[in-house]
Amino acid sequence: MRQTRQPEVAVIGAGPAGLAAALAAAQAGLGDVMLIERDLELGGILPQCIHDGFGSIVFKEALTGPEYAQYFIDMVGRSNIDVLLDTMVLDLTAERKITAINSRDGVLEIEPKAVILAMGCRERTRHQILIPGFRPAGVITAGAAQRYMNIEGLIPGRSVVILGSGDIGMIMARRFTLEGAQVEGVYEAMDHPGGLTRNVVQCLQDYEIPLHLSHTVTFIHGRKRVEAVSVAEVDADFEPKMETERRIPCDTLMLSVGLIPENELSRKAGIEIDPATSGPVVDERMETSVPGIFACGNVVNVYDLVDYVTQSAEVAGAGAAEYVLQGRKREAPIRVVPGRNVKYVVPQIISDFDRDISFYFRVEHPEKAVVTRVSADGEVLSQKKAKMVRPPEMVKAKAGPDALKDGHKVSEIIVDVNAGE
Amino acid sequence: MNKHDFICINCPLSCSLELYEEGGRVQEVKGADCKLGEKYAAEEYANPRRILTTTVKARNGIVSLLPVRSTEAIPKRLVRDAVRALAGVVVEAPVKRGQVVLKDILETGIDVVASRHLGKMPASSEN
Amino acid sequence: MQQMEQQSIKRKHDEFSLPLPASAEVVVIGGGVVGCAIARELTRFTPDVVVLEKENDVADAASKANNAMVHSGMGEKKGTLKAHLNVRGNRMYDRFVEGLNVEFKRDGMFIVITPRSLSFPWLRWIPAWLVRQWMRVCLPWVLVAYGRGKGIKGLKRVRRKKLLRLEPNLTPEVISGIYDPNYGRISPYKLTIALAEHAVINGARVCLNTEVMGVRVEDGEVRGVITDRGEIATKRVVNAAGCFADEVARMAGADGFRIHARKGATLLFDKEISTVVNHTISELRVPLAGHSKGGGLMPTIDGPLQLGPTAIEVEDKYDTSVSREEIDWILDRFLYLIPTFPKSSVICAFTGVRAPTEQEDFVIGVSDKVKGFVNAAGTQSPALASAPAIAEMVLGVLQGLGVSRTLREDFDPVRPGKPVFSKLSDAERQKLVEEDPRWGHVICRCEYVTEAEIVNAIHGIIPATTVDAVKRRTRAGMGRCQGGFCGPRVSAILARELGIPVTQVTKDGEGSPLFCCESKDLLKEVV
Repeated sequence: MRQTRQPEVAVIGAGPAGLAAALAAAQAGLGDVMLIERDLELGGILPQCIHDGFGSIVFKEALTGPEYAQYFIDMVGRSNIDVLLDTMVLDLTAERKITAINSRDGVLEIEPKAVILAMGCRERTRHQILIPGFRPAGVITAGAAQRYMNIEGLIPGRSVVILGSGDIGMIMARRFTLEGAQVEGVYEAMDHPGGLTRNVVQCLQDYEIPLHLSHTVTFIHGRKRVEAVSVAEVDADFEPKMETERRIPCDTLMLSVGLIPENELSRKAGIEIDPATSGPVVDERMETSVPGIFACGNVVNVYDLVDYVTQSAEVAGAGAAEYVLQGRKREAPIRVVPGRNVKYVVPQIISDFDRDISFYFRVEHPEKAVVTRVSADGEVLSQKKAKMVRPPEMVKAKAGPDALKDGHKVSEIIVDVNAGE
Repeated sequence: MNKHDFICINCPLSCSLELYEEGGRVQEVKGADCKLGEKYAAEEYANPRRILTTTVKARNGIVSLLPVRSTEAIPKRLVRDAVRALAGVVVEAPVKRGQVVLKDILETGIDVVASRHLGKMPASSEN
Repeated sequence: MQQMEQQSIKRKHDEFSLPLPASAEVVVIGGGVVGCAIARELTRFTPDVVVLEKENDVADAASKANNAMVHSGMGEKKGTLKAHLNVRGNRMYDRFVEGLNVEFKRDGMFIVITPRSLSFPWLRWIPAWLVRQWMRVCLPWVLVAYGRGKGIKGLKRVRRKKLLRLEPNLTPEVISGIYDPNYGRISPYKLTIALAEHAVINGARVCLNTEVMGVRVEDGEVRGVITDRGEIATKRVVNAAGCFADEVARMAGADGFRIHARKGATLLFDKEISTVVNHTISELRVPLAGHSKGGGLMPTIDGPLQLGPTAIEVEDKYDTSVSREEIDWILDRFLYLIPTFPKSSVICAFTGVRAPTEQEDFVIGVSDKVKGFVNAAGTQSPALASAPAIAEMVLGVLQGLGVSRTLREDFDPVRPGKPVFSKLSDAERQKLVEEDPRWGHVICRCEYVTEAEIVNAIHGIIPATTVDAVKRRTRAGMGRCQGGFCGPRVSAILARELGIPVTQVTKDGEGSPLFCCESKDLLKEVV
């Protein structure tokens, strides 16, 4: 017998975003919240992120990933949120009908009043960046390597070349080293490290792991198992300079070359996707273009801090609860426009400018001594100085309607970065 | 005077710091944009410390490894030895978050504790 | 230590493969699409057939890495054996796949004519408008007539306007084209596996991980086949060893041809963008550089879109690498046809190695030097399309060598299919979960593959014992994340079902372990 369930809110995904969103919805007064997770346990990617550095904003201390997750998992345990583990969502319609499956209940039809998307993101693979060569065993993405090493208890290889110096790439370089493997080097196509300086120092320099900037992998050798990779310097257009190509023997190539929001379900529901973020267009309550479907965390845009993921999820959870309890009629939205040195801004639109809103954005290029600014139709709502802004690090700016002089109706909000002083 | 190079990790500016010392006494820190940088260089020179995070093997847990951390930062030079000391440790599930896995690691006075709850694998499971 | 581990992998696989039979009426060397097609056709007349495959699975070389097209014969030179068997094989396909439970679609192909189609140097002496007019009006008729001359039926001329209506993303530079209704699409490895399993259902034995080391010939007649696992007595050998067919022929003293390796790289795109084309599209290019039919944009039967292949001569028959030049060539060549193509949606690049002879034609028939030694060689593309006709021809030759001509009454015409979760209705899914909860356990999130399907593959008639073999049967790991998520789970299921430690699970057999050791092992070594 197929089962139909009608919770008030169904949250898809129980990583940091889904956990916080479900809790926020429950705290906002909903008694019937369902949390659907495809894995065997709660927490998403956090249980495998065993390093510290999580929670400096939300908890004001440096926690490890499992500790950060545990706080929310315990809260969910104490709540009456209905948790479905090991359950795969197969379909989502614009009418908010979810089809899911698991081994215990079989096919589940879930018809919630509101849906919160919290599926997170996935890793780019070697093919998406078109690395030439063979297809042997031993080519692995950083997240998969992290899962094997920190959860499954398996070591993918003993001599490792890493492509990509994002935070997880460097953190895994340290992890491989501490587990007794040899990291031959970290190669980065950009002329600066992709991740935080803290990780360059504490993950690479501490262990004397060489970081080769402006380099890429040009070929993967080995038919059955990786035997070596070729690397070369790249020019300003990231094209390899083949005369600098050299061969590095290794048995593993680990890739940390970017994350992509996981939006297969969003597309099935016909949700509008922002090409700049690869995630849904959301408003200030994290509601997508489809009424009653909210989104938060890395589904919306790849945040660099889990704290921001939690914050976006709390907004989505409260927004979904408000939608269920009070209903919502959205008016013509205010557009949020990226201004000078801003690549994109989340949220992309504002439906009701009735509260303080956190704008998260990424800059296009690094800039020192700047002022970040939020303005409405030419009127500055808030501004903040920063010593430096860099593309890998999201910037947060807050602004609310109280700053508006006469409370007039706003038609456009611009977020921009300008030279300070 | 001897020179030591550091990169400040306190903010995205990532100042390149030059610390000058004589006979182990810090004389001057150059290149810092703010006080935090000077303090950081002095600490990194005199007594660099790191939070230790790694895993230990777990028996009968729902997963086979338990993530652990040191309750405080330990001297940087001891990190590798500490990880090796923990390589032989096996815990029995269930484990609670904060449960001490190894007391006073390498005589630092600092304990290593579990980073998560680890439930027991249900007996009926095939794995 | 490493050696010991490898030995135990080998032993484990042996338990999953068959004991080597002492004798057989026919031994087929090579478990590619040609070898398995021949074996299956043989079992209609005799069950006493043995297929020898050196790899851990059938379809583990060119049959897993080609462009998955059932060609019509348009690309082959009239008068060659290849052209003849291709046209005939194509016509036989619907009957050929009957009962196999493998998806086959015959939905045709557009061959489009663009300003790049003709590159004869002398064309520059003719006014450009005249060339264009001729390409628009006359060239389609020339192509239709050319095809008809080879026996290809149903070719139609298609005007530019209609082409652009049916394929709105096609370059507006397109001039005209033809439609070839005979082209079909199939998964070449699923077909090969199905053929092998159908043969086994009807009595054949498929021995994996079994490499041929020699052919015993006495008094000019075949007496047996020597393998690394022992010897099989037989009077009839079929050489369907693909790239290695020349080496096998030499073992028997029946040489007379040389196989040179020519690789072909293909790019595979996310199924999400498959709607950029509605049909298979190929661009007419004459004269063609090198030995390729030109390739095209091909929506595969399983969803993702393929672009390619290239054609590059290589020294090494195992050179399945993709070079930077090939990637650039493919993108340059095919993205011209679809200017809006989202090229960042690549999910995979792979290469197969073709097995042409110097003469570039198939070599099919009994050796004139060794009685009982039958070649099915030189089977480069379009061998997939020609397979039914090659098998028919080889069967005829073997019947001339004494194989029964009477159809077996006990031949089972059906190779049962297994349910594919992603294609089922919710009601069907519910029913399966109630029978076996593993149908409710989705392992591969990109392609929606369940634990039940993976277990079925591992315990299939031709067992899947590696991650890649599971992938070919179930599509687990074939989606956009390329196994990033499901890799750990598939490895764990393989280990459990094969009864081996996870550290012994391989990607593609011996020498391709996925892990070097368990956590903490390296730290203990260092001490």
